[in-house]
Amino acid sequence: MHHLAFFVMLGAVLVMAGLLLDVVREGLPHLTWQFLTSAPKERGEGGGIGPEIVNTIVMVGGAMIVTAPLGLLVGMSQVEWRPPHAVVSVFDQVRATWLSIPSVVLGFLVYRVAIAWWHWPLSVVTGVLALCVMNWPMMVSVAVTALRNVPATYREASWALGATRSQTVRRVVLPAALGELINGWGWAMARLAGESAALIMTAGLNVSTHWSAWGPGETLAVYIWYVRTEGYGARGSGVAAATALTLMLLIALILWVSGRLSDWRQHPGR
Amino acid sequence: MAPTIRTEHLSVSYHRTPVLHQISLEAAGGEVLALIGPSGCGKSTFLRALNRLVEETPGARVEGRVYLGNMNIYAPSVDVTQLRRRVGMVFQAPNPFPFSIFDNVAYGPRLHGVTDAGELRRIVERSLQEAALWDEVRGKLRRPALTLSGGQQQRLCIARALAVDPEVLLLDEPTAALDPLSTEKIEELIANLRGRYTIVMVTHNLRQAARISDRTAFFAEGRLVEVGWTRQMFTAPQDPRTEQYLTGRYQP
Repeated sequence: MHHLAFFVMLGAVLVMAGLLLDVVREGLPHLTWQFLTSAPKERGEGGGIGPEIVNTIVMVGGAMIVTAPLGLLVGMSQVEWRPPHAVVSVFDQVRATWLSIPSVVLGFLVYRVAIAWWHWPLSVVTGVLALCVMNWPMMVSVAVTALRNVPATYREASWALGATRSQTVRRVVLPAALGELINGWGWAMARLAGESAALIMTAGLNVSTHWSAWGPGETLAVYIWYVRTEGYGARGSGVAAATALTLMLLIALILWVSGRLSDWRQHPGR
Repeated sequence: MAPTIRTEHLSVSYHRTPVLHQISLEAAGGEVLALIGPSGCGKSTFLRALNRLVEETPGARVEGRVYLGNMNIYAPSVDVTQLRRRVGMVFQAPNPFPFSIFDNVAYGPRLHGVTDAGELRRIVERSLQEAALWDEVRGKLRRPALTLSGGQQQRLCIARALAVDPEVLLLDEPTAALDPLSTEKIEELIANLRGRYTIVMVTHNLRQAARISDRTAFFAEGRLVEVGWTRQMFTAPQDPRTEQYLTGRYQP
């Protein structure tokens, strides 16, 4: 039986490696400094993905800055202060349902509310809002899991020394949970960086020459989609592959950094 | 002088299920009182009622009175923080925080407002010496506490409890998770702390109770069956259930 499992796994790894190699083979020749820093061009030679890189980082960062602390607060109140069971269970139901809603639907919701109703432009800010709407249940999950994994004996030891609940949370539970929080935040950022459907409707398919928070905010993932579907540059597939490669490297970087930080928090001095 | 700790008709229930019935028991100032009895008989709950830690368990309800000296610790005017400062606790499994050795011991004093670095250092050194750990960790105070051995971790937890100058120490099976050598060190330490602190200790190890306690209380099914001088109780128990328990024949 385990031979079969091994071959299935080997097959999966080979397929993955093949796909990855294909992207690398096609994308790598385009991946120059100039490509990474200049603005995209619809026609002719010499376009790049500079603004898309900036937009991706700004929008993922913005959504994290808003939702990570909020999720942590909600998770803290849920784990450390134990509100009435009925409240928690309804909230958890909503959260689980929300997590399973396709991002394209959430994007459409944000489009209806923020753009059609409030008259926000297709912009970086609207895109951040869409990412926040997508990301908050993840952030609560990450916080709840990380806080639950802090041994109850730490809390008891702290209470037994005369600490209040909030002192215990601040001085013991949060420092002890930080490693796992960072790890979870890293995975959430990786997921957000790859989001496209929700952003097509809210942040748009353009970049402006002068970056602005209220200007259009196409991201790397959206640009890949655009180049492969709407774009009519002759180099489309090469540009898409190079952009995909950039996005993968960015995600790998995020995961590597968060993993290292997390390790360092959990095993200091190693 | 370490104060007396005394309960009067102390009853505790969790979600309306009674776990302790009308316990009236006293630990005299400076003595070591051992609590023995089968698992689930309420010894740990009794211990947790003495520093009101039991109140942190959802659904717990406490009735009766507990006096620390002359103070009823369940009176509404009592500040739980101050109470727990006076009544320290050490748990079954060593539970140092995932911080450095220094920060573990300094946790309590910092909580209670000590900020001066020199004073913190003095408190940490004194507490570690009192817990017989200083010689093993001097010069390594910045190392993570979790790199210490199990026995060292438990002595660190004792040092952490001592750092806030308690008058009473509650020990909940402090050697249950330790090897014989570490157990011996902890017992030696408890013997040295006797007199300065009033010590109430839960243990499953009857020999340990016999070795280090002045008096022993036997609990069964949430009730106090018998309490008396340890030597007397181990040689001539009054209650047939105590005798059965001490000889390994107790059936609840």
